Amino acid sequence: MSARDVLADVLLGIAVAIVLASSIGILVMRGPYRKVHYVTPAALVAPLFVGLAILAQSGLTGNTAEMCLALIFLGIAGPFLSHATMRAIRIRETGDWRPWAGERRAASGAEQAQDEGGVGERADEGAARERS
Amino acid sequence: MNNGFVIAAIAMLIGTIPCGIVVWRGQLMSAVVAYQAISSIIVMVLALLAEGFGRSAEFEFPVLLAVLLLGSGLVFVRFLERWL
Repeated sequence: MSARDVLADVLLGIAVAIVLASSIGILVMRGPYRKVHYVTPAALVAPLFVGLAILAQSGLTGNTAEMCLALIFLGIAGPFLSHATMRAIRIRETGDWRPWAGERRAASGAEQAQDEGGVGERADEGAARERS
Repeated sequence: MNNGFVIAAIAMLIGTIPCGIVVWRGQLMSAVVAYQAISSIIVMVLALLAEGFGRSAEFEFPVLLAVLLLGSGLVFVRFLERWL
């Protein structure tokens, strides 16, 4: 077994560990907001290690180039998809992605907005009312 | 055949089982998140199998899936925002 094989195996082991930990995180965490955070390591970091393992194994070949291409597409898709998913979750829960006025106060430490239940007025609506 | 890559592919497929449980049993948006994780894992599995079995032509599949991941995911999530 050459040094290249050992390096490739180590990198693959790291990638597999990341994927397994992310999968368990997705299973264990409560709520989609928390689960989304565990997609990123599996979608961005682990493919990087896989690409490095392929590079270590076969050098600069067509396979490595295609894996780099897949990595680029994954790198573009990951943040966009995470953002779009968070936005969709937010809209499904509250009807709009923008924070409402009480929620901003809650975020600054009061936390009373969580107990009020329903959706309050939007921040921009509250600001418009204050202006008028 | 390169055993390390094939074993890594199998281990990553095992990693899809917890995500599959979430897809099967979880709420809708949690299932969407798990589906996205599975898609990303499958991209790696396809690349690992292509490298493991020494088939360069099959490196097209992970590239294709990575491209489709963005478009399909955005369309899917967009529909889930309001209509599904």
